[in-house]
Amino acid sequence: MSLKQTNLALAKDDTNRFLPWLIAFMSLLAILSVAGFLLLKQVSDLFEYNSNDTMTIQVPSGNSEKRTNKKITQIINILKETGGVIEVSLVPKVEVIQLLKPWLGTISESQTLPLPQIIDIQIDRSSGITPEKISNVLTIIVPDITVDDHSIWLIGLVKTLQSAELMALFILLLIIFIIIGTVIFTTRTGMGIHKQTIEVLHFVGAHDDFIARQFAIRGLVVGLQGGLIGFLFAIPILYVFDNLLQNLEEGFLPKAEVNIFVWLSVALVVPMISSITMLTARGTVLKSLKKML
Amino acid sequence: MTEVIKFESVGLRYGLGPEVLQDISFNLETASFHFLIGPSGAGKSSLLRLMYLAHRQTRGIISLFGRDTASLPRTELPKLRRRIGVMFQDFRLLPHLTAFDNVALPLRVAGMKETKIKRYVEELLVWVGLENHMDVRPTTMSGGQQQRIAIARAVIARPKILYADEPTGNVDDRIAARLMHLFDELNKLGTTVIIATHNESIIQEFRRPILRIESGRLTVVPLDKDNKSSDNKSNVKRATQLLESLSPE
Ligand SMILES: Nc1ncnc2c1ncn2[C@@H]1O[C@H](COP(=O)(O)OP(=O)(O)OP(=O)(O)O)[C@@H](O)[C@H]1O
Ligand SMILES: [Mg+2]
Repeated sequence: MSLKQTNLALAKDDTNRFLPWLIAFMSLLAILSVAGFLLLKQVSDLFEYNSNDTMTIQVPSGNSEKRTNKKITQIINILKETGGVIEVSLVPKVEVIQLLKPWLGTISESQTLPLPQIIDIQIDRSSGITPEKISNVLTIIVPDITVDDHSIWLIGLVKTLQSAELMALFILLLIIFIIIGTVIFTTRTGMGIHKQTIEVLHFVGAHDDFIARQFAIRGLVVGLQGGLIGFLFAIPILYVFDNLLQNLEEGFLPKAEVNIFVWLSVALVVPMISSITMLTARGTVLKSLKKML
Repeated sequence: MTEVIKFESVGLRYGLGPEVLQDISFNLETASFHFLIGPSGAGKSSLLRLMYLAHRQTRGIISLFGRDTASLPRTELPKLRRRIGVMFQDFRLLPHLTAFDNVALPLRVAGMKETKIKRYVEELLVWVGLENHMDVRPTTMSGGQQQRIAIARAVIARPKILYADEPTGNVDDRIAARLMHLFDELNKLGTTVIIATHNESIIQEFRRPILRIESGRLTVVPLDKDNKSSDNKSNVKRATQLLESLSPE
């Protein structure tokens, strides 16, 4: 396809002045949510990895508190005897409520819900201990016991982080929808402005594809322009953010960083957005042309 | 197949308005040449619009190249339209393209090579007397110049059917005659030509069968054999040379 063929200036109209900037803004948001997702994922993965030498045992609450407490003491004693278990600790009820807050909301301590008792154990993996072995021993005392291979503390945090990750992806999806909507709207407007030209193209025997291509190319260009501008704005933001992350005090939080993988991923947002704008423009034109004679 | 255009009891109304065309029935043979005449507002442009598929008839059957147009799938319309050249009464040139690019449009749409396009378009623009206006946009041209671009665009792809709506309205007699010879030559090479016109002197000089529309009805006025005009020989020769150099595909 020669350049001349594409030079119909079909998509040149006023909507083009603001469109690249709107796409640029949307691209910046998309890039930030992708980066946010990846950074959160780094942290949650690290947490999951770090929680490797702990297990959590959940004992469902029975009808009688007295009997349950008795069983708990029994379980703790058995665990202390078990090879490979280094430390056993019962998690206080207040903390259990705190842990469940993300799922249940704030509950008063005068428990209306039957809360499970939670026991954390530190283990030595090299001893060959597994959750199955522990639960086999303990089900004799309490049949419906569950043994998790992670610390429930960290699981709670990881779960919270993971919902934040999902949120970032959801925002990305929302941005994509807004871009698609905007491109559909501007393409329709453009087609209205160039109605005469489109008619003439039909009369001289142009296929719908030929006409759609004119708009698709324009969509690609606008998407690339907007995407690149958005990316340029994202660079300093991510750079500053990375510096902040690196200057965080050493400690509880595992470190996240804007590494080469994050940079590559956010760079991919640019071709992703321009493909979306191109395909949306094309699809919109083809769909409205179907209604013409 | 000798019937290239066939109308059977065709009627047309715009929206809820009165029937602009009523019970139109006729056959046009391949390589025939007709003038389409009638008072202003009689429905000449409307009839042409039906013939180049810009509008659907409200009743009746229209067949082009032996095919019922109502049963043609959308995807086959471009192929059909490439065999039809149209010069619109209001020209419909693309204002943002140069004269050259406007005339080149049908060839580009058909995917012809740029080198060929350049040769054909330049040759034709020279012939219609616009060699000095190839890179000018139609918005800065006179009505007569625009008209010639519109005609050049209609004939550039050597269509099998040519419709021209008032092709001589804005040009002087000399150019009008020249354009008529171009149509005539295209016709001799096998194109079916229909020309809507008010221009009495051209109708007199070129003596062709006539489609006459009056108050929505069409009558075909055949030509009496002995009355055919003598052609302007020199113009005809040049038009023939030009058109033969524009190869069909
Ligand atoms: N798009 C339209 N919508 C509604 N009515 C129309 C439309 N186009 C034409 N008409 C009506 O149809 C009738 C025929 O119009 P048409 O343009 O076919 O006439 P014409 O013979 O080409 O006239 P002229 O010689 O002035 O070009 C007229 O009464 C006109 O008002
Ligand atoms: Mg008319």
